[in-house]
Amino acid sequence: MSEGADTKPQRSKSAKWTRRGFIGAGALAGGALIVGVAVRSGNPVGKLKAIVAGGDGEALVNSWVKIGADNLITAIVPHCEMGQGANSTIAQMLADEMDVNWDNVRVMDAPADGNYVSQHAARLFVGPGTLPDKPNAVSFMEPTYDGLFTQVAKLAGAYITGGSSSVRSTGQNGMRIAGAAAREMLVAAAAEEWGVPAAEITTQNAMLSHAGTGKSEPYSAMAAAAATQELPRAPKIKDVSEFKLMGTAAPRKDIPLKVDGTAMFGIDGGPEGNDLRYAAIKACPVVGSQVASIDPSTAKTMGGVLQILNMGDFVAVVADSYWQAQQALNTIETTYTETQIDDLDSAQMFANFSSALDEAGDTGGNSKAEYGDATGTFADAATKLEAEYQVPYLAHMTMEPMNCTAWVRDGKCDIWTGTQVPLMSRDGAAEGAGIDADDVTMHSVFLGGGFGRRLTPEYTNQAARLAKATGYPIKMIWSREEDTAQGFYRPADISRFTGGLDANGKVISWNNVHCTEDEPPEAPLIEFYDIANVSVRNAEVEQPLRLGAWRSVAHSQHGFFVESFIDELAHKAGKDPFEFRRSLLAKSPRHLKVLEGAAKMANWGSALPEGHGRGIAIVRSFNSIVAEVAEVDMTGDKPRVTKVFCCVDAGFAMNPDGLKAQMESGIIYGLTAAMYDEITIKNGAVEQSNFHDYKMMRMDDAPQIAVQIINGAPNNLGGAGEPGLPPAAPALANAIFAATGQRIRSLPIAKHFS
Amino acid sequence: MKRASLVLFIGLASLGLSACGSETQEPVEQIVVREPGAEAPVAESQPVAQSGDLVAAGKAAFAVCSACHSVEAGAQSGIGPNLNGVVGRAAGSLEGFGYSGAMSEANLTWDAGELDAFLTNPTAKIPGTTMIAGSVNDADKRAAIIAYLSSLSQ
Repeated sequence: MSEGADTKPQRSKSAKWTRRGFIGAGALAGGALIVGVAVRSGNPVGKLKAIVAGGDGEALVNSWVKIGADNLITAIVPHCEMGQGANSTIAQMLADEMDVNWDNVRVMDAPADGNYVSQHAARLFVGPGTLPDKPNAVSFMEPTYDGLFTQVAKLAGAYITGGSSSVRSTGQNGMRIAGAAAREMLVAAAAEEWGVPAAEITTQNAMLSHAGTGKSEPYSAMAAAAATQELPRAPKIKDVSEFKLMGTAAPRKDIPLKVDGTAMFGIDGGPEGNDLRYAAIKACPVVGSQVASIDPSTAKTMGGVLQILNMGDFVAVVADSYWQAQQALNTIETTYTETQIDDLDSAQMFANFSSALDEAGDTGGNSKAEYGDATGTFADAATKLEAEYQVPYLAHMTMEPMNCTAWVRDGKCDIWTGTQVPLMSRDGAAEGAGIDADDVTMHSVFLGGGFGRRLTPEYTNQAARLAKATGYPIKMIWSREEDTAQGFYRPADISRFTGGLDANGKVISWNNVHCTEDEPPEAPLIEFYDIANVSVRNAEVEQPLRLGAWRSVAHSQHGFFVESFIDELAHKAGKDPFEFRRSLLAKSPRHLKVLEGAAKMANWGSALPEGHGRGIAIVRSFNSIVAEVAEVDMTGDKPRVTKVFCCVDAGFAMNPDGLKAQMESGIIYGLTAAMYDEITIKNGAVEQSNFHDYKMMRMDDAPQIAVQIINGAPNNLGGAGEPGLPPAAPALANAIFAATGQRIRSLPIAKHFS
Repeated sequence: MKRASLVLFIGLASLGLSACGSETQEPVEQIVVREPGAEAPVAESQPVAQSGDLVAAGKAAFAVCSACHSVEAGAQSGIGPNLNGVVGRAAGSLEGFGYSGAMSEANLTWDAGELDAFLTNPTAKIPGTTMIAGSVNDADKRAAIIAYLSSLSQ
């Protein structure tokens, strides 16, 4: 391990290039070129300024490119891989801009020797000596923990994998520019070396060529020279017509690892050797309560048990194996301190929503959108419709339960955990271990599902506290019961609508009031529908529960609310729900194409068997537009979704296969919740515990899914991870109405058929 | 509103360690049972018969079984059936539990002898049972578990 003094020049170089602008480059030992991009919205550099997404404060996007001596190009991306495949797609964008063939591309910490978890290779990548206090750096996040990246990332709250942002933000605004810049610098280096004009040099398959002189060299030969070139201030990125890899279904780089079992997930992580001990924990079931007493008498006698800990807010057993720890924990009788919500239940929460909505009435609450005169036109409407919808709290139920491996020793802490927020988790570990955040090393692992659940740092904090208290490297694993009961739940909500139709059945008034905070704020808005008089408001209700972001966030609720009410208005007007939406979307051409695309796929209007129905819904979320048609078979004892037709416009599908997979996944996740699930509260605590009372959609219940992609705005990308979900529930509920005349106004659907 | 004072909304913006509900980072209570590699506590390795309380020993031994079997009267069955009142009960007879065909057709009543044979080697006693875990090699431990189960049947 080198001393800090040796590394100072490296660090200051890093800081220097980030200060000087937005594209930075440097050479590593072995002649590798690295290029990074930092984009800050406050900075006045022409092209880069324009591409920064709007919003307050600073946004940071950065990426790293490495050209190895073996001519392999490695993309290191600041996002977590939780199954969504975005990191591979981001690398695809980089490679295309660099004119590199896909076979020559590696993602994250993939080194030349194919040993993708090699710490040696990772150290090389990060740069010898750049991280003297982190000799075991295998994390793709590591380079960001030093210097400016850390500072800006903290300020910007960056390093969140969420908001369906990886491809459209980091890929589009970071990786593509880094790739284009790297290519231009390589060309400039070759021009200098060969004494020919840069404009005459062509690039293909990671090779530089000059036709006039017949010279040709791999990128790696010019990498060191390229690093000394002037940084291009506005690298030219490709037009869609020039794309070679972008827009193709390049095979994902993470799939082989997951197929052959070599992929390292959080639950697989940990130090080498036999010193690892295991912890099972149980946190206080009611928010705000503390452990009052524990009876460990049986647990103390059980095999493998090393320590029993009352941590105040949770009880833990540390043992030689996870199973032993969990079994011993199960025997500990625990009492808890009283809280003010010990008598809280779901009915009370929904009653609170109702009274808040009563109070807000037709005009009260916080205005989210207000144009025209919704109440006045409603009063004069030829036909009036009122409806109230309700959705429950939901859990994430990632396949891999929350877990974290922590090792605290010598004032340092190593963490292995799947997280969507590595910086926040690092801070949580530091607090738990009682050390500085700089002394925490986060090891990169795959996430066995995220969906928004891994946006919180509390499990990292718990593991660090246990590791500190016991002195052992601790692998803490939550049981499924703990995972279900200690979530950060999708908020429940009630949403009320009034709608007015004129004599021709056209919507002239739309008035909506609901309870939850809207994240993102556009979730309840309907400006794409041609309705002149609109009022959208929310009423605040305090919810003393652990709430968080759940795949598609507030779109998961409002997609159901809005698209159910539009459907009810269509039927009230005596019109076909598809044609009704078509007329409302006349001024929103992208929406219209997507809607018509889904209807055409489903052969909308064609005959269905007796007892079957078809429902349609369209939702814009995370800058992507998705329409879905669901077909349902109501001839059995419960609804069965047989088919879902999905049409998506995400601007441009950088990897159509990845986009399709995300649509399919969003649909299944959305249908699972719509059909079966709710988290309910009794005596202040969550009632559900495992998959028997929180069901997953299984193969035999899953519909056939067809996905069609429209590339409607190649320079205005949308997200993929979430937008497939919101239309699924309303499409299904609308299909049930079409089949039976039964309108589903509260979820889950199964409750209406039990 | 009744709960107006209970502001504990934890949204994405404020996700944080406040969720732990605790200011305490250090353990409130830390019981070191043994060090890694050290001998297990004497209590565990002592022959069951000498423990003085067969039922208590059985309850402790049953902890492993409790992963699948509930024992409280009326409690929902887990992966295995609720064992409250199992002693004296006909095999495969708990209402509403999905037994294997083998168990449903076992045609025996659980008494100490039958339970002992079953716990010794479940799949040998009732070939086709889905209780693939749970064989207890230690005869004293079996006796204790059966004593414990009997105590629940009274």
